[in-house]
Amino acid sequence: MSGGARPEMEALYPFLYSGGSDLPAVLAQVRASTVAKAAEITELRRVIAGQDSGRLAAAAAEAAARFAAGGRLLAFGNGGSATDAQQLATLFLNPGSGARPLPAFALANDTSVVTALCNDIGVEVLFARQLAAIGTSSDIAVGLSTSGNSENLVRAFEEAGRRGMLTIGLAGYAGGKMAELDSIDYLFVAPSASVHRIQEAQTTVYHVLWELTVAAVAGLDRP
Amino acid sequence: MAVQPGQHRMGPGGVPAGRDAVRLFGLRAAPVDDLAAQAGAVAVACHAMAARFHQGGKLVVFGTGGASTDAQHVAVEFVHPVIVGKRALPAISLTTDVATVTGIAERDGVAAIFAHQIRYLAAPGDIALGISPDGNCRSVLGGLAVAAELGLLRIALAGGTGGDIAARGLADHLLVARSDDPRIVKELHVTMYHVLWELVHVFFEQPGVLAPAVLA
Repeated sequence: MSGGARPEMEALYPFLYSGGSDLPAVLAQVRASTVAKAAEITELRRVIAGQDSGRLAAAAAEAAARFAAGGRLLAFGNGGSATDAQQLATLFLNPGSGARPLPAFALANDTSVVTALCNDIGVEVLFARQLAAIGTSSDIAVGLSTSGNSENLVRAFEEAGRRGMLTIGLAGYAGGKMAELDSIDYLFVAPSASVHRIQEAQTTVYHVLWELTVAAVAGLDRP
Repeated sequence: MAVQPGQHRMGPGGVPAGRDAVRLFGLRAAPVDDLAAQAGAVAVACHAMAARFHQGGKLVVFGTGGASTDAQHVAVEFVHPVIVGKRALPAISLTTDVATVTGIAERDGVAAIFAHQIRYLAAPGDIALGISPDGNCRSVLGGLAVAAELGLLRIALAGGTGGDIAARGLADHLLVARSDDPRIVKELHVTMYHVLWELVHVFFEQPGVLAPAVLA
């Protein structure tokens, strides 16, 4: 552990610095920490439901119109957010439960494409180049970041915006650089300083977005 | 329109509105409270995992469908910590080698995809973490069964009532997200493995609680 992190760690887990090895006390602290984190995520979801529900329904209606026009959903993010992009894509493409499959894929899936772009040009073009090669004006670009500052997401949204795609961004903290972009049509910010709680809330945001979008697509099908 | 399991009825006319989103968010609260009620099981699982890491074990994570993305998320969480000062811990996801996964599935069937990899990539001192939203994924059941045979510590994240993982007692530590909506189950799993990661470090940073005498 770095010296700088110690005061924060000591405040969070004072028992670590009290000497001895009292296992029951440590287990009790870990239980309390679990309960506290559960309360944090429920509160964060409550805040997001209050601030973003109307815009989530509007984004879903626009996404449904894009699917009806032949568009596809293209999802991207780095690290843990890359796994969220993959979850979002497979949720649309292979939802199960009798839900209607919709075309979607994630831009971190193909290790040949990812390593070629990173090695030959740089990680900052990783998603923008793929959107330029694959994307059409009917498509939906969804980018996920916890910081909102990833350069390859900023470039991807600028590319998607230029091409007329519907653009949806998920960020954390106060939205970072993504909050300053005109190229994002719908930005959903999870206002937290915890990367973990941000990711958990973002998972709910895109699950709700999916559920509303599938319902909106079904609505478009009705005469 | 018939509402399928894991899908929820929308407002009048079927056109989604903000109130539908508010209601969907609200469905998450009770299952999270239930997770908080399992805090004791979380703490014991973290301690057992920390002991394996302390003794040189690695974490192997597996799941299919959406849970394959969770397996990869867990691996990156441990290998590349988001909190400065936390040490990297060894973890691999068994979902990323497409050649091997599809090769085993084609030759031996889906139930073998993780079992085979665990047999040849894992050691008895390792930790197997299987993720199955309904507790019935054949591939995860197969992986946990081989992990038991080899002596790995077995952790499982399931949903619903725990399915066959619970019924067959395939995990040393089973955490169940009590919802029948696979989306809500996944969200609870994300919280579970974030908490497991963070709190494993609490034990790991105090080796006194991992001493042989304490573990005996």
